[in-house]
Amino acid sequence: MSTSQAIYAGWMEIANTTVDEMARGQVEEATLEALVNQYASALYRVAFSVLRNAADAEDAVQETFLRVLRHRDALDEIRDRRVWLIRIVWNIVLDRKRRAKTRPETDDVDELARVLPSRGLSAEQHAAASQHHKRVLACVDKLPSKERQVLMLSAFEELSSVEIAGVLGITESSVRSRLFRARNLMAEMLDHARSLR
Amino acid sequence: MNTQNHRSANSTSMVEAEYDPEVTLRLIASLPAPDGIENRVIANIRSAPPSRRVLNWPRLVNPTESWLRTAAAAAIVSVVLGGGWGVYSRIQPISTVALPNAGTAGGFSNAGAVRVPQTIPTPVVTKPASGQPAAAEPAKKATSRDVAGAHRQAAHKAPAHPQAAVGR
Repeated sequence: MSTSQAIYAGWMEIANTTVDEMARGQVEEATLEALVNQYASALYRVAFSVLRNAADAEDAVQETFLRVLRHRDALDEIRDRRVWLIRIVWNIVLDRKRRAKTRPETDDVDELARVLPSRGLSAEQHAAASQHHKRVLACVDKLPSKERQVLMLSAFEELSSVEIAGVLGITESSVRSRLFRARNLMAEMLDHARSLR
Repeated sequence: MNTQNHRSANSTSMVEAEYDPEVTLRLIASLPAPDGIENRVIANIRSAPPSRRVLNWPRLVNPTESWLRTAAAAAIVSVVLGGGWGVYSRIQPISTVALPNAGTAGGFSNAGAVRVPQTIPTPVVTKPASGQPAAAEPAKKATSRDVAGAHRQAAHKAPAHPQAAVGR
């Protein structure tokens, strides 16, 4: 039986399917790499804002893309990939944060307050800024979890309130009301801290 | 010393005035990602083991296609409905169900026990001794007949003995 006869008889269909799958796999891989190049940095910043540790944040980004790899068949159905990816990394970092609750956070806060940029400040002002950042971060940690999440996501200028709602799975009006409450609580706590000094 | 403290307080208040609380969060959010993170992630993805399933769907019946999903969902629904209808058509609904008589107070039931009031104490009828019940009964009847016969005989005999009747 010649090759053409085999094709007509359906024998060669398996080979064609394999070729299709390989091509499809290459396309998916290319799509995934494009996603990594486009969003890895943003995802890292989201992860870092919660975990406050560079290595943990990078691990979270790696895990995010491994999850995407597992569900790459569903990539075509995702409307807003950026929000989808941020939602995945957000869930991962919250889960990690919950599990690593035993680790004292004061070290991270100190380190972060020291690392934060201070534009052209003197050494004295830099120290004062570090103290201020430390106080703010301590107040953020004391916020109720729902308000804290909205406040932290609102710090990302590229995220609109609709997108924050998409990440958290709530309505936009809930985002606004939680943000309002979070700001009020922050102001109260900082005032209280100032009055104690 | 005082001058130093005063200067420190001044710089603190200046910093607080400049930095809104949310500025801190924005600064954190804008911290740059480490160099080469994309390459490391891509390398990690490439080295990840392929997630093959034990049983792959044949290409012809790819479950990701929407029409196939719809058909599968319809088949499941029809099987469930058919099964339910089959069970319903075979089993007749029970019209009444006899429930145990639960107590009205909501506590314990009487478990089917019926209260029997105590009867008024009455004379106890004792049966005759079970030794000769059959012999006693005919004897009793014979006695009553005998009594009647004796009366009759006495009536008949009365004119025969007039002195006796006068003497009474």
